[in-house]
Amino acid sequence: MKQSVERIATPHLPLPLSLVTGLTLLPHGMNLAMPVNLYLVALLGWRIASLRLPRLQPGRWLLLSATLSGVFLVYTQYHTLIGRDAGAALLAVMLILKVMEAGKRRDIYVSVFISYFVVITHFLFDQSLLLSLYLLLVMVCQTALLLEINRVKPSPNLYQPLIKTLLITLQSVPIALILFVVFPRITHPLWNLGSGSSAMTGLSDRVTPGAISQLIESAEVAFRAEFKQSPPAAEQRYWRGLVLWDTDGYSWYTDPERPLADTSPKITHLGESLAYDIFLEPHNRPWLYSLDLPLKAPNQARLSGDFQLLMEKPLTRPLRYAGLSTTDYRTPKLSPDMRQRALQLSGNLTQRQRDLVARWRASAMNDSRLVEKALDYFNANPFVYTLTPPIYNDNPIDEFLFEGREGFCEHYATGFTQLMRLAGIPARLVLGYQGGEYNQLGDYFIIRQYDAHAWSEVWLAERGWVRIDPTAAVAPERVRYSIRSDLGEEGSPALFRIDHGGVVGSLFHQFALAFDSANVQWRRWVIGYSREHQFSLMRGLGFDFLSPAQWGLITIGMIATSLLVVGLRITWQGKRREAPIQAVYRRFCRRLSRLGIDRLPHEGPMDFATRASRRRPDLATQIKRITGLYIRLRYGPHSREADRRSFSSQVRLFRPPRRYRKRND
Amino acid sequence: MPALPVDQWLRRFRRRARPDRRGGVSVKPRSIYILPTKQGMLLAVVILLMLTGSINYGSNLGHLMTFLLGGIWLTAILHTWRNLLGLGLQPRQVASVFAGQTADFTLLMVNVSALDRFGITLKCKKISGDSVDIPANDQRLLHLLIPTHARGELPLPDISLHTSYPLGLFHAWTYARLDLRCLVYPKPAGSGEPPSAPVYTRSDTGDRGFGADDFVGLRNFRPGDSPRHIDWKAHARERGLLSKQFGGDRTEEVRLDWDLLPKSDQEKRLSLLCRFILQAEEREQSYGLRIPGQKIESGMGSVHRQRCLTTLARFGADNETIR
Repeated sequence: MKQSVERIATPHLPLPLSLVTGLTLLPHGMNLAMPVNLYLVALLGWRIASLRLPRLQPGRWLLLSATLSGVFLVYTQYHTLIGRDAGAALLAVMLILKVMEAGKRRDIYVSVFISYFVVITHFLFDQSLLLSLYLLLVMVCQTALLLEINRVKPSPNLYQPLIKTLLITLQSVPIALILFVVFPRITHPLWNLGSGSSAMTGLSDRVTPGAISQLIESAEVAFRAEFKQSPPAAEQRYWRGLVLWDTDGYSWYTDPERPLADTSPKITHLGESLAYDIFLEPHNRPWLYSLDLPLKAPNQARLSGDFQLLMEKPLTRPLRYAGLSTTDYRTPKLSPDMRQRALQLSGNLTQRQRDLVARWRASAMNDSRLVEKALDYFNANPFVYTLTPPIYNDNPIDEFLFEGREGFCEHYATGFTQLMRLAGIPARLVLGYQGGEYNQLGDYFIIRQYDAHAWSEVWLAERGWVRIDPTAAVAPERVRYSIRSDLGEEGSPALFRIDHGGVVGSLFHQFALAFDSANVQWRRWVIGYSREHQFSLMRGLGFDFLSPAQWGLITIGMIATSLLVVGLRITWQGKRREAPIQAVYRRFCRRLSRLGIDRLPHEGPMDFATRASRRRPDLATQIKRITGLYIRLRYGPHSREADRRSFSSQVRLFRPPRRYRKRND
Repeated sequence: MPALPVDQWLRRFRRRARPDRRGGVSVKPRSIYILPTKQGMLLAVVILLMLTGSINYGSNLGHLMTFLLGGIWLTAILHTWRNLLGLGLQPRQVASVFAGQTADFTLLMVNVSALDRFGITLKCKKISGDSVDIPANDQRLLHLLIPTHARGELPLPDISLHTSYPLGLFHAWTYARLDLRCLVYPKPAGSGEPPSAPVYTRSDTGDRGFGADDFVGLRNFRPGDSPRHIDWKAHARERGLLSKQFGGDRTEEVRLDWDLLPKSDQEKRLSLLCRFILQAEEREQSYGLRIPGQKIESGMGSVHRQRCLTTLARFGADNETIR
């Protein structure tokens, strides 16, 4: 059937449409390639200009060439037309081209629908709370455009359509939430279009000199951790990531050809175990982080023989998992092949290394004494902890230990591990994060990339694997306080800064923490919502026995209920409210009819009053006064609030006695 | 255009709002039909695409936004429905027209609710009437222009109210039948002279008020007097509206007799008679009408004209009632 309001012209709409389109595309400024952004801005500018100067409006051929050049531009920038980045760019180009020619109602519909799609492409780049709120508002504006083309006259102001749209949106929120909670999440993509071009920051599985100091430049959040009980002290908060066994003298790694036998390790823990939740940002690596040492693996991963949490696939989505760890532990006996691997040496040993270790060995009676000697060595000699160490080329460990003596945690950890192996003590390198900032508002820790750290583990006969952090021997404050890299200047040395900024700085910091706390809740309940949550929720509600079909029916029922509530609400909302004066007058008539004086259908208030007064002369003055007020309020030119109030109060007080008593009785 | 039989059959089951005692209708909850529009279906497809994309990229926010949009899609049904619910429609008037002209049915749309209504279109079959926005507790006059083809009484056909407010995703409509009839006069024939010569009758009693030859005097203006007879000069002197009275020694009278017309089709004769009435009125001749079963005495003026034309329009229909 033909649309009813179809023929109504919409000359006032292209400008709001262009502006809303601008708002829709704004967050893409950071996501899309610069030439694509320039193209979009140019076309939008052209559109807005052509609305003021109609002769600038492009003709069909010009539009066609703009379309072709847009597609070509996207292709040259991304070398494809599918996948996340190219797809988002192509959609943005489509939107802007549709807006260029939008004049008819049909075009506006299509533009708005495309811009709905553009909204969700933003979430492939950024999922922050702020952006989501912004895009929600943008969606309301887009929908308000639809509202505008379905009425006859344009809205008198901006608020009317926006408020109506906001109302409709709010009424739709319950449905959205029901579907969000219930709709089954599929853990693997339907088809793989590539995970995007932007590299994710985080630890890599290979330590080369300088690898970690690069990370220190970044304040990006690696993960957040929330303890179920009181958290351990900063010196104990070593977040274990991965363990590196092998070295070629230059870099450290774990040879993928020689995977560790997966013996589940038995730990005797002396202290109490700590339960915590981790909200891990996607880092495109297959390992999870845990507090040193993990006692058991979460559902998503397995616990390896060297206490790593490993997954089958790299993590590309935010993940929440529960951890259980202890900081005070004894590990079981070392297997022969593990011992062999933990003693393996690279070919770049020098005589001065051997001499050094031999000196320690001679003076130490056992292994743990030797470890202490080694730490003393780092402490007593002029070692410097710095983010900008000199570049060690040929034999980085040797040059660092004996010449430069300036280094970052990876230098200390690798050097120490190598010396331990030389001394015959099984040792390995551990990568992870250390410390983390406590967020008081949310009661959790934020661990950022600049908290990345490397340390060693040595095997001592009486204690098993023991964590040794040689960096702490040189710069104990590194372990107690977080580093803040000076992000303002590229390459400037990182400073140890204990946060005592001014009042403004501290307020700002507080605000930032509050905002981060909101973001965490957002991540936990919205972004990180997963299949596991769904299952645990259903189990928690005791509904896990239901089949998917039953769940489908329940969902439909819930949505129908929600719609019913909205339907009843909007039906009642519009019901005619009777003029209160009439209702009050009717009450007056009811009181009189109790006395047997009924108002006849044809009788006007005046006639009724005359008749009633004749029947009950004792009430005549009251009846006359009330009727007079009623006539004045109902038919008079102005109704005064004072009259209205006196009218209601007089009717309220009008309680005539049933029987008429003559006064002289 | 012949309606499909299925269509006709379906029409019998159509829910319509029926007039109340005062002749008006109001839209009842269960008489509203609602279906997605083309745009609504397009958006449904877009939502499915968005869902596919969100699943593929595992974007929970994408899911959330998609579901919100789906919720809006569903909620729009209710709002579109509500936009029609409870609207009142009352018949107002329709002026008589000649066959072939367009009848202007005027209806009053009343919004007795605290809710503004927008984008409501009145339609009759394929003919679109006015589209209006009606604020809360307000009313608007709507016109529906329906072309006429044949003389007789043209009842207002089943009308429908349409809306796709707020979002244009759904199209809600409802049918109503109002008792409003347009009297359609026969279409005046192209040309022709009355077959009978004017009959001149002497008037002994004086014929004030008849004829057009001699000025007789002035009298107060009465509605129906020709504006040409108004004494405008007197009016300019602020003596009020006065009509000039003319008289003559003879009265020109036209007898319009069915039997005197050349034998032809009934409708053709009626349309000839119609033309003669208009012509006589124009020439200010008095005329009488005689058609089978009915006779109207000679007379003049708009009331007389209307009576004659009505007789012509109803010819045949009245015969049936007589039988």
